[in-house]
Amino acid sequence: MDTFVFSLTVLLAGGLFALLAFRQFSLMKAGYIALTVSGSLIGLYAIKVPLVDGTLVTFSITWLHLFTLSFRLDSLSAFFLIPIFAVCPLAVFYSFHYMDNAAQRGRVAVNYFFLTLLIISMALVATADNVISFALVWELMSLSSFFLVMHDYQKKTTRRAGYIYFIFSHVGAMFIFAAFALAYSYTGTFDFLSFADIPGNIKIIVFFLALVGFGSKAGIFPLHMWLPHAHPAAPSNISAIMSGVMIKMGIYGIFRLYANLGVTDLIFGEAVLTLGIISGILGVVYALGKHDLKKLLAYHSVENIGIILIGTGIGMIGIASENMVMASFGFAGGLLHVLNHSIFKSLLFFGAGAVLQKTGVRHIDQLGGLMKRMPTTGKTFLIGSVSISGLPPFNGFVSEFLIYYGAFHGLTLGGSSFIFTMLAILSLAIIGGLAAACFSKVVGVVFLGEPRTEKAAGAFEPGFTMTLPMILLAATCVVIGVFPEPFVLAAFQGLKSIKTLHLVDVNEVAMIVGNLAFAARLFLGVFVFSVLIRKFFYFKKEITEGATWGCGFTQPTTKMQYTGTSYAISIVDFFRPFVHIRTNYSGISRIFPGRTTYNTRVDDIAETALMDRIVSPVLYLLAKLRWIQHGHIQLYIGYIIVTIIVLLLFI
Amino acid sequence: MINVTESILVITLLSVLLSLGSTRLIALVKIMALQGIMVSLTPLFLRGDDSLGSGAIIFFQIMILIKGLLIPSLLYMAVKKIAIKREIEPIIGYHASILVGLVILIISVFITSHLRLSLPAGHDMVLITAITTMAAGFFLMMARSKAITQVIGYLMLENGIYLIGTALTKHSHTLYVVEFGVLLDLLVGVMIMGIILHNINSAFDDADTTLLRRLKD
Repeated sequence: MDTFVFSLTVLLAGGLFALLAFRQFSLMKAGYIALTVSGSLIGLYAIKVPLVDGTLVTFSITWLHLFTLSFRLDSLSAFFLIPIFAVCPLAVFYSFHYMDNAAQRGRVAVNYFFLTLLIISMALVATADNVISFALVWELMSLSSFFLVMHDYQKKTTRRAGYIYFIFSHVGAMFIFAAFALAYSYTGTFDFLSFADIPGNIKIIVFFLALVGFGSKAGIFPLHMWLPHAHPAAPSNISAIMSGVMIKMGIYGIFRLYANLGVTDLIFGEAVLTLGIISGILGVVYALGKHDLKKLLAYHSVENIGIILIGTGIGMIGIASENMVMASFGFAGGLLHVLNHSIFKSLLFFGAGAVLQKTGVRHIDQLGGLMKRMPTTGKTFLIGSVSISGLPPFNGFVSEFLIYYGAFHGLTLGGSSFIFTMLAILSLAIIGGLAAACFSKVVGVVFLGEPRTEKAAGAFEPGFTMTLPMILLAATCVVIGVFPEPFVLAAFQGLKSIKTLHLVDVNEVAMIVGNLAFAARLFLGVFVFSVLIRKFFYFKKEITEGATWGCGFTQPTTKMQYTGTSYAISIVDFFRPFVHIRTNYSGISRIFPGRTTYNTRVDDIAETALMDRIVSPVLYLLAKLRWIQHGHIQLYIGYIIVTIIVLLLFI
Repeated sequence: MINVTESILVITLLSVLLSLGSTRLIALVKIMALQGIMVSLTPLFLRGDDSLGSGAIIFFQIMILIKGLLIPSLLYMAVKKIAIKREIEPIIGYHASILVGLVILIISVFITSHLRLSLPAGHDMVLITAITTMAAGFFLMMARSKAITQVIGYLMLENGIYLIGTALTKHSHTLYVVEFGVLLDLLVGVMIMGIILHNINSAFDDADTTLLRRLKD
C-alpha cells in the first residue's frame, strides 16, 4: 500500500503545483503533466502485485477519533485501477495543447487541481473498504467532477448541465447512503465485509437501493440523463475521463456490493441483465438520433454500460444457476469491457475534442472531409469506431465475444434464465449492429466526403500532445484485440474477489482465448493481405482523383452528401414507440418551390417523462408557495422563530 | 446586603427594555456594550466560592473585551461610516415595543417556572433573563427596519443564548471553549454584516432592509 499511497501523494503534489504555478502557463502545464504521469506510473506499478498474485494490501487511518477510514487493494480494485492510472495521464497529456488559452490560465489551473482530486478520489473509491471511507471519497468524486463540468461556467448551457449532473449525482449518492444505512442498521459495523451477515430479504433492498445510486453514476438507462448534458459541456479531456473512467466507478460499486453481499438469487442477475439490455439498445438508438458529436458519444457510453451490465447480468445468472462457465465468462467479459470501453471511449472523445478545437462546431452535419485535413485524428477515430462497434480484430470484439461465450453456455438452462439469456444474445447482436451503423454515420459524415462549412474546410491537425495519446490508445485497441491473453487473464484475476464465483480452470480460459486470438490475427492477416494485393494491382497504374461524391456531376455541391439525419432516421424510426421524433417540414407546394425547411429532432423519452411527470407538477406546486418569499427580512426572521418554537414544542 | 448577581441580571433586563425603547442608534450601541459586559460578568459571580482557573480568567477578560469593546466599536464605526441619516425607524412603535418587552418578561417567568428544572439557587433568575434577552433580540430583529438594528438584535440573541448556557450547565473548561468558538463566529459575523451594510447602503442610498425587497426574483 505504501507505493499506492505514494502515487496518490505525487498526484496531489501535481494538483497543488498547478495551483501555485498558474502564472507560468506552459511551465504549469508541463510540471503538472510530468507529476501526474509519474504518479500514475507509480500507481500502475503499485497495482501490479495485487493483480498478479492476488495479495491484499490494506491501510487505515482514524478520522475525527470516531471513524476508521480503511482502504483495501484487492484484485478487483486493482483491475478497476488500471483504467484510472492508464487513461487519466493520457487525458492530462492531451490537455497540454487542448487547453491552450493562456488568458484563462487561472481557470486551467483550477481545472487541473480538481482533475487531480477526481483521479485521487476515483482511486480511493476503488479501494475503499468501509462505509464511511466509501461515502467520503464517493462524495469527493462527485463534487470534483462537478467543478470539472463547470469549466466554461459563463455559458448558460454549461451551468445547466452542471446543475443537472449535480442533482443526479447527489440523488444517486442519497440512494447509496440509504442502502448503507439500512445495512448498518442490521450489522452494526461500518465494515463492508459484514454485509454478508444481513438477512436475505434486506440484502435485496440494499442491493436495489444501491443499484439506483450506482446506476445514476454509471448512466443506466432511465438515470442516464446527465450524461448527454454533462459530456458536451465539459472540456473534451474531462469528458474522456468522466465517460471512460468515472462512470465505471458505478459499475465497480455494483461488482463490489454483489461480491460483499454474497447473494446468489436469480433476481439480481435478471434485474441487472434487463437494465443492461434497455440501456444498451436505447443508448445506441439515441446515439443514432443525435447529431451533436459529443452528445452522441455520451449516449454511446450509456450503450456500453448496457453491454457491461449484460455481461454482469449473465455472470449473476450463471452464479444463481451454478453454471460457472457462464458466470466466469459473463463477468470476465463485463470486466474486460470496462477496460476496453475506457480505452476506445477516451480515444473517441479525444478525437471529438480535436475536431471541436480545430473547427469550433459540434454538429456533425456542419463537418465533413476531415480525414484529409486531420489524418491522424481521423484514422485513430476510425480505429476507435471499429473497436466500439465490437468488430474484430480490435478490443471491443474480445470482451463482447467473452460475453457471447458465457451467454451461449446459458442456453442450456431452463425456465426464465433461458429467456433472459436468449434476450441478452439477441440484444447484444442488435447493439453491435446499431453501433456499427452509428459509427459509420459519424465517420462517414464527419471524416469522409467534402467539408460542408468553411470552418470544417479550414481544419488542420492538432499539436503532438493531442495526437500522441490518440495514437497510443488506438495502438492499445489493436494490441488487446490481437494479443488478448494477458488482459483476459487479468480480468479473471480481478474476479477472484467475488467469493461466490468458482472460476473455471485457467487452462480452459487460455485455450478459448488462444483460439480467439488466432482468429483475430487471422482476420488482421487477411485484412493486411488484401490491402497489399490492392497496392500490388494498382502499382504503377494511373490513378485520377476527383472530388468526393463528384459522381460525374458538372456542378457538384456539398449539399448532395448524406447528412447524419438522412442516414440514421430510417433506423431510428423503427424504434419509434421508445423514441420521440419531432419533424418540422414546410413541404413543397408549387412547381418552383420557395424556401423549404426540414428539421427533425430526437427527444429522450426518459427526459421528457421526467420533465412532464415529475418536474412540471413539482414546479407547479412550488409556484403556489412563492408568496413565502416576499423579501421582508423581518418576516423571514419570524419564520425562523416559528420553526424554533414548533420544534421546541414537538421534540 | 446587595446580591451582586441579581443586580447584574436586573441591569441586563433593564438594558433589554431600554434597547427596545431607544430611538437613537448610537445610544443602542452603547446599551449593547453595557449589556455585553453585564452578560460576560454573570458567570463570574454565579460561581460563588469556586476558585477560578487561569484559563477561565483569561477567557472572561477576552470575552468582556470582545463583547463590551470590540463589537460595539465595530458597530459604532459602521454607524458613523455609512452616516445613517434617519435613526431607528420602527415597524412596531417604541412604546408598544417596551410593552412587548414586558410581556416577554412575564412569559419567560412563566416558562421558567413551567419547565420545573432542578436548578441550583439563583440560576432560575438567570434563565428568566436569558429567555427574555433572547426573545427580545428576535423581536428587535423583526420590529426594526434598519439593517444595523438586525445586527444588534442578533447580538442580543447571542447574549441570551450565552446566558442560557450559563444557567443550565455546570461550569467546565470545555464550555468556555465552545462559547469562545461562538464568540469568534459572532465577531466575524459582525464584520461581514458591516461589509454587507456598506454595500446595501451604497446600492440603495440607505441601510433600510425594506428596500431589499427589490432583490427578490
